[in-house]
Amino acid sequence: MTRIGAFARKLRVPALSIFVALFIGALFIIFTDVEVLGRLLSDPIGALSLGVGRAATAYSALLRGALGDPETIGKALASNGDVQLWARALRPIVESVVASVPLIFVGLGVSVAFRTGIFNIGGAGQYTMGAVGGTLAALIFGGGVTPVPIAIILVMIFGLIGGALWAFIPGFLKARVGASEVITTIMLNFIAAQFVFFLVSNFEFIQKPPRIQPVSKELSQFVDLPGILPIESLRLDIGIIVALLTAVAVSWFLFRSTRGFELRTAGLNIAAAKYAGMGAASSIITAMLISGAISGLGGALVAVGTVKQLSPGIAGSVGFTAIAIALVGGTRPSGVVATALVFGLLQHGGSLMQVTTSIPIEMLLFIQALVIAFIAAPELTLGIIKNPFVRRSKSVTK
Amino acid sequence: MSRTKKSSKGREKVSASSVPAGVEAHNAGESAEAHQQQVAARIRAGLFAIFAAVSVSITSGSFGVDGNFAFWSDSIGGEQVFFSVPVALLWGIVSVGFIAITLLQLLRGAKFAWRASIGIIAPALVIALLARLLDGTTANLTVFFTSTLSFAIPVGIGALAGIISERSGILNIAVEGKLLSGAMVGSIASSITGVAIAGPVAGALIGALLSLFLAWLGIRYKVDQIIAGTVINIGALGITSFAYLRILQPYSEYNRPIGIETVDIPLLSHIPILGPIFFSLSPYFYASIGLILFFTYMIYRTRWGLRLRAAGEQPSAAGTVGIDVVRLRYRAMLIAGLLAGFAGSYIALSGTGGFGINTSAGKGFIALAAVIFGAWNPVYAFGAALIFGMTSAATTLLSGLGVSLPPQILLSMPYIVTIIVVAGLIGRVRAPASAGRPYDQG
Repeated sequence: MTRIGAFARKLRVPALSIFVALFIGALFIIFTDVEVLGRLLSDPIGALSLGVGRAATAYSALLRGALGDPETIGKALASNGDVQLWARALRPIVESVVASVPLIFVGLGVSVAFRTGIFNIGGAGQYTMGAVGGTLAALIFGGGVTPVPIAIILVMIFGLIGGALWAFIPGFLKARVGASEVITTIMLNFIAAQFVFFLVSNFEFIQKPPRIQPVSKELSQFVDLPGILPIESLRLDIGIIVALLTAVAVSWFLFRSTRGFELRTAGLNIAAAKYAGMGAASSIITAMLISGAISGLGGALVAVGTVKQLSPGIAGSVGFTAIAIALVGGTRPSGVVATALVFGLLQHGGSLMQVTTSIPIEMLLFIQALVIAFIAAPELTLGIIKNPFVRRSKSVTK
Repeated sequence: MSRTKKSSKGREKVSASSVPAGVEAHNAGESAEAHQQQVAARIRAGLFAIFAAVSVSITSGSFGVDGNFAFWSDSIGGEQVFFSVPVALLWGIVSVGFIAITLLQLLRGAKFAWRASIGIIAPALVIALLARLLDGTTANLTVFFTSTLSFAIPVGIGALAGIISERSGILNIAVEGKLLSGAMVGSIASSITGVAIAGPVAGALIGALLSLFLAWLGIRYKVDQIIAGTVINIGALGITSFAYLRILQPYSEYNRPIGIETVDIPLLSHIPILGPIFFSLSPYFYASIGLILFFTYMIYRTRWGLRLRAAGEQPSAAGTVGIDVVRLRYRAMLIAGLLAGFAGSYIALSGTGGFGINTSAGKGFIALAAVIFGAWNPVYAFGAALIFGMTSAATTLLSGLGVSLPPQILLSMPYIVTIIVVAGLIGRVRAPASAGRPYDQG
């Protein structure tokens, strides 16, 4: 009983953060509706009910996009195994899981760095360089040059290396000369995007013919990751399995291995870690290498398996989202996976919301920002549900 | 190894501000730091020597090619003045410059004012590079200079905002978010009111609001200041994109700001060639120069500035002598927000397009680079913004003329330079000691 209670208490802040952020998001939908704003003064009740109705429509579209349409699911259940109907019923939730794969990887990656006390904002850059590695491996070894399983393994290895190399630069600079990893990783994110731009617009080997757009060739011609679902048209590939295995591995590494203990100690108290004879510099470099390698692995698998193309903007907002996920998930692998799945649902649901109700998916960025703020300031979040008539203790400012 | 003047310079200013605590601790690290300064000086000399060698080899390879340039003679779009210079001459000048800098660096060691010398040689290098890459095509340099400025204004003022908040002890990676918000709100305010001044004012106000929010999270709730800054950056990108797609795009009358017209300085603007470049510019430019000079004076020469720096270096000592650090930080953040929002409004109001999604395009992060490159000094930071602006203008110019060169390399320069500077390879820059640390007022 107490264990369940403790678990519920741990979930309280993250869950509340997401709900409050979604609620504020709804307010945003209501008060950016030009029709609502226009009627607000003349007919406030009518305007607000219109706005609430619009927000409800939007969120129900989001839910349907994330989990599936109950009607379609009902039809599929009644159909007695019609593959087409099942594919349509399951597509939303499967696509949500697909959307969460990069989030799991980069979320895990930045979590390892956060645990070591390094604020690695370079998830996007490391993911991008992993995608570069994976793409190059696919172009070189794919398309029948090596057997498919070997090509896939090489894609993953090149991804690991790409991400690790990119993370090594800030890690090394932080460990040796104390350069702020915040600045260096932000800068490296930009450089990675420019580097991809350079690659996909200057090399015939990489660029998609007729070499007008800055994108790579279609990678599915070279390496195709095998799907894991019996229905062919649902594109969930081995990426999710690798992601979950990585989470298990990270969990073991952080909480069961000596090196992981050293990293966490360095994260909690670097002076104590040094005093205990743990090399702080090597902890920082190791953490960044692992962090970058995980993000890079994700980049490679998503570029080759899901997007099937390398482009300068391949990382999108994954770097930002990953920070939110790592913080909401308490930088624990299990928490990260769970949060990434929730954000994957939001992301894919959001795209359906955008299509059907023309409410821009960019709203999710705002919601993520709010979630990060609430998680980073738990007093703020708990203050929202606390009885406002009880004076808050002064302990916050002390 | 005697203590070099440079290494103790920054500290003298602070220790003069009655901040005795920690000075002994600093002295222990002094000789190690002096050694590091020597190493950095040697690395700098090596880098300059490499540049000199490359310049000489380019010079020898460019005889017979002319760099063709044009200027608008009295107003943009009017008559053009053409002239051509042998590319070899330009590179000859650059080579001599680099050789001189290398020698001076070797002779004077850590005392050499390398930042200023880079500031002098970089423009010459960019022009020479431009002439070489143009390979005979004519480029209009007036356009080049004005587009340099239009990049440097938001970056330079954004950097000034970063400097003021970091000098007070609040790490400010949220400049990008404030630029973006300032751009959008400025554009909307200008469109709705139809008054030109409303844009910059509204932009500054939203910047201030975000800045105070950042300060509130950091000071009141002790949220890690990097996380708080990230919140603002992500949130601003989300809100502005959302509002753009939902309101500004369908109802574009809210995104048609009154253009800020250029101001011709009487008499000076009629000087041929120089007039259109320096004396017929957006009022933002003159305001920016004024702000940079004003705040440089304020930071280094007034009591307010002394207290500001003390709060950023040793807040506990500052608190002991009766400075209200928390209030000072809130005020500094207010000023920083006003400045960043003002800079953001320029992005939307300087052109014709109004606000667009992610219209600041990373300028806020380049501003951070300028802060570091400029060693938390507004004038140096503005110089860095100008250099970054030149690389961006050169890229635009070259791609517009269809010259094939991977512009991504040039566009990456500010970021690469920043990493090198942060790494302390070419010279140590020291951030305000307490930037990013929460302060306990006990």
